[in-house]
Amino acid sequence: MAEENKNSNTDENSKLIGLVAQFDDPESLVQACDQARQAGYTKTDAFSPFPVHGIDPALGIKRTILPFIVLGIAVGAVFIGLGMQWYTNGGSLGEFSTDESPVFPGYRFKISGKPYFSLPANIPVTFEVIVLSSAFATFFGMWFLNKLPMLSNPLHRISRFKRATNDKFFLMIEQADEQFDRGSTEAQLNEWGAVSIDECRRDLTDNNLPSWLRLFALMGAILLLLPPVAIFRAMGMTSRAPRLHVVPDMDWQDKSKTQTVSPIMMNDRYLFADERVMRAPVDGSVARGQLDADTELYQGIKSDYVPTVSLTTPQGSVRTGLGTQDEAETAPPAEDVSMYVTEFPKEITVDEALVKRGQVRFNIYCAACHGYAANGDGLVNQRAVALAATGKAQWTSAKSLHDATVSNAEKNPLGRIFETISNGRGTMGPYGAQIPTADRWAIVAYVKALQETGIKPVVAVSDDESGEGSEANDTDEPATTQEDKTQPTP
Amino acid sequence: MATVNPILDNTYDDAGERSPLILGGLDYAGVTDEVCGIWEADKPPKIWFVVLGAAISLLMVLGGCVGHLLMDGVGVWGNNNPAYWGWPIVNFVFWVGIGHAGTLISAILFLFRQNWRTSINRAAEAMTIFAVVCAGLFPGVHIGRVWVFYWLFPIPTEHLAMWPNFRSPLLWDVFAVSTYATVSILFWYMGMVPDIATFRDRCTSKIGKFVYGLLSLGWTGSARAWHRYEIAYTILAALATPLVLSVHTIVSFDFAVSQVPGWHTTIFPPYFVAGAIFSGFAMVVTLLVPVRKLYGLENLITIRHLENMNKIIMATGMMVGTAYGIEFFIAWYSGVPYESYAFYNRAFGNYWWAYWIMVSCNVLIPQVFWIKWCRTTPWFMVIICVFVNIGMWFERFVITITSLCRDFVPSSWAYFHPTWVDIMMLIGSFGLFFTLFTLFCRYLPVIAMAEVKGVMPRPKDH
Ligand code: HEC
Repeated sequence: MAEENKNSNTDENSKLIGLVAQFDDPESLVQACDQARQAGYTKTDAFSPFPVHGIDPALGIKRTILPFIVLGIAVGAVFIGLGMQWYTNGGSLGEFSTDESPVFPGYRFKISGKPYFSLPANIPVTFEVIVLSSAFATFFGMWFLNKLPMLSNPLHRISRFKRATNDKFFLMIEQADEQFDRGSTEAQLNEWGAVSIDECRRDLTDNNLPSWLRLFALMGAILLLLPPVAIFRAMGMTSRAPRLHVVPDMDWQDKSKTQTVSPIMMNDRYLFADERVMRAPVDGSVARGQLDADTELYQGIKSDYVPTVSLTTPQGSVRTGLGTQDEAETAPPAEDVSMYVTEFPKEITVDEALVKRGQVRFNIYCAACHGYAANGDGLVNQRAVALAATGKAQWTSAKSLHDATVSNAEKNPLGRIFETISNGRGTMGPYGAQIPTADRWAIVAYVKALQETGIKPVVAVSDDESGEGSEANDTDEPATTQEDKTQPTP
Repeated sequence: MATVNPILDNTYDDAGERSPLILGGLDYAGVTDEVCGIWEADKPPKIWFVVLGAAISLLMVLGGCVGHLLMDGVGVWGNNNPAYWGWPIVNFVFWVGIGHAGTLISAILFLFRQNWRTSINRAAEAMTIFAVVCAGLFPGVHIGRVWVFYWLFPIPTEHLAMWPNFRSPLLWDVFAVSTYATVSILFWYMGMVPDIATFRDRCTSKIGKFVYGLLSLGWTGSARAWHRYEIAYTILAALATPLVLSVHTIVSFDFAVSQVPGWHTTIFPPYFVAGAIFSGFAMVVTLLVPVRKLYGLENLITIRHLENMNKIIMATGMMVGTAYGIEFFIAWYSGVPYESYAFYNRAFGNYWWAYWIMVSCNVLIPQVFWIKWCRTTPWFMVIICVFVNIGMWFERFVITITSLCRDFVPSSWAYFHPTWVDIMMLIGSFGLFFTLFTLFCRYLPVIAMAEVKGVMPRPKDH
């Protein structure tokens, strides 16, 4: 019943793929399939608008391996899902924890002391990962096994075949089948009740892509690679220019920056006479916690002291901890030590609690440089001295507080130690801003207590048993071994 | 077109005979013609344009609100101390809940071999996906800087040097909802391929041939392909079933894992899932009744289909009602004063009106479905179903707002006020939903033709 090309399987324009027989209902299709299989045809396929029951055995279709593919992926997803959470949230395995990994380290969230990795909390995401990957495996695996998408198929050239997705049923016997014979196969199909038979032919004339298209596609693909490559290169390089913000989220804010001109105008004039953005407090106002009229408590200076020379320190000069040796030497030459208090101010009660408090604060703020025993061997100091030796930095050794210049109550009364802590001295920076007043006095008490223990300056220990001599402390190289042994308990 | 069948009532139950799923004596070609007729018509019915026009205007409102939100920040919402979770999460849970019916119909009813699902599953799945799109919008824009939304996912970045916190229910939500959206789309699309192939084979316009040709991936209906396809479909259904249950469970964890009184309860997961199915089915009915009327699909989406859905609505409605009761019982039985207060406050506190709207819409009103007339009369059931969805929106409102506005610290108690942006975004989200749905009705197969044909009685049986 095929209309044309009866005699040749292949001519120069087209090639015979197979014969397509139409049936009108599913039952006849199944029967025909059954007969085709019994007749020994293997390269067959049936087409129907919906899955027809019983067609699989009739055609001899083997069960697909798809479920096993999905199972494999699902099992893999268990490990991927759990592993992802374990890795990214800083899980650990023995000594190793992923937040120490050199590339893309894990990130530890400390939440109510819970473990970083615990199965119950990680089940929901693992489950979703399993479902998602299995669904992808099912979906893509099914199309892959079905060799779809296939956008060009000679079957679609048969006009009758359009009803395969509507209400008709088709059986195709391929030309590639060993049993296939143009004439006898057609006869058999007719015998099995085919309503009509068409030839399925592949058109050989136009199924090649023009050769230039391939070249263009290749070039296009390479060009498309350039932008990501450029981006990755830029990301991997250092640059002095600020990072490019695609969305400049918080770069521009509706606010005035410090040290700029105030934008607030009134009648074409600046609202504030000084035109500044930053406003000074109203005259005479005292900020909370900054009422320091009591000089004994807040400055360590006797309340009845009347300066004879203009007082540049402590309030007047700004010091930096980075000053050089020379600058330190040019500190005010004639210092009037008599202005400092020699007793603790009356607000401070000296007792064990105060000294204990002082110890804690000292260990936090001072020990880094001066050492726990205050003999000048703090870690910062050691490191800085070592660096200074190589010329990489400039550093004045942190003094041993057992040095006679420091421990001598005449030369260095209590108020002066307090002043040193508050405003710094020489190359030592000021700590007044970090340490509240009472704590500074506590530190003073602790420093005095330390000095009472009679710990010798480090170098003196090895050099000169009796020496509290200042020469020993003039050296810039404190010993490094004493720290632990000499940590005192007041 | 279809021939008219004298017996239009297939809601009778005769033990000796299965009531037909398809009426009008349609054969295979009849089904194809009826479904493709919607799309082959030169012009859709006028009302289609009206609905689309209205939906697009609302969509534009939504777009404007989102733009405003992105420019000015999330402060344009009414979320503020103590109700930091305001309408956005109410809307999110509302839409996600609606998005549960589709997958339930396609997956769970499929596994239970409920053949009646075939006429309604396509539209329900589409509805699911569009509802999930609406749901995703709210958490999507609430993150403030949406352009770095990918920080939600564990993507290795050098400059952030951080990963998501995998022990947070909010992150579980990211995974659950995105997995759900993806799997629903795969399921929906896969189910649609054979029908798109039908469109391709009937299409006459060039563009249509190209687009449907591409989308149908070269489907021929080969028996070997059908074999793998059916197995794949079953696997997807088996995957989607626990998935659909997990999604709303995880959504409920957003609340239940926290310690706010009224949220911290183990009943939340099952109760949320029941509520989701409840609202989802109500939405399916609300949509399908007009669609079947408009497109003359009465032979395919029969009264029996609608009746079955109404029965499910009534059943799940009663489950939700039971959950409301149990919550009160546990609040009393636990003896925890905060818990008891939270529930007393829900029913008789300053949000009593919301609570009683919820109870009447969700528990009382669906009871009318005991009466056969109510569950078989299309216009009437739509009214009931609209009430159900109002009730379900209020359920989420009650849970979120009443608990937050009366937390542990009385000094932070307050009354929540939504802003106009909150209100317009809720309304606008319906615009998004209906725009997508009206377009779907016009351009894609509304009914799963291949599946309907598969469960039709064979011609030879007659
Ligand atoms: C960053 C390191 C560093 C820290 C921290 C530090 N100091 Fe010093 N301190 C020094 C240095 C360096 C000197 C020597 C300054 C000089 O002679 O120029 C010094 C000197 C001193 C002196 C002697 C001042 C004088 O009269 O010559 C005292 C007392 C002192 N520090 C006490 C303290 C106390 C108490 C603390 C804790 C609040 C402290 N320091 C914290 C580095 C530090």
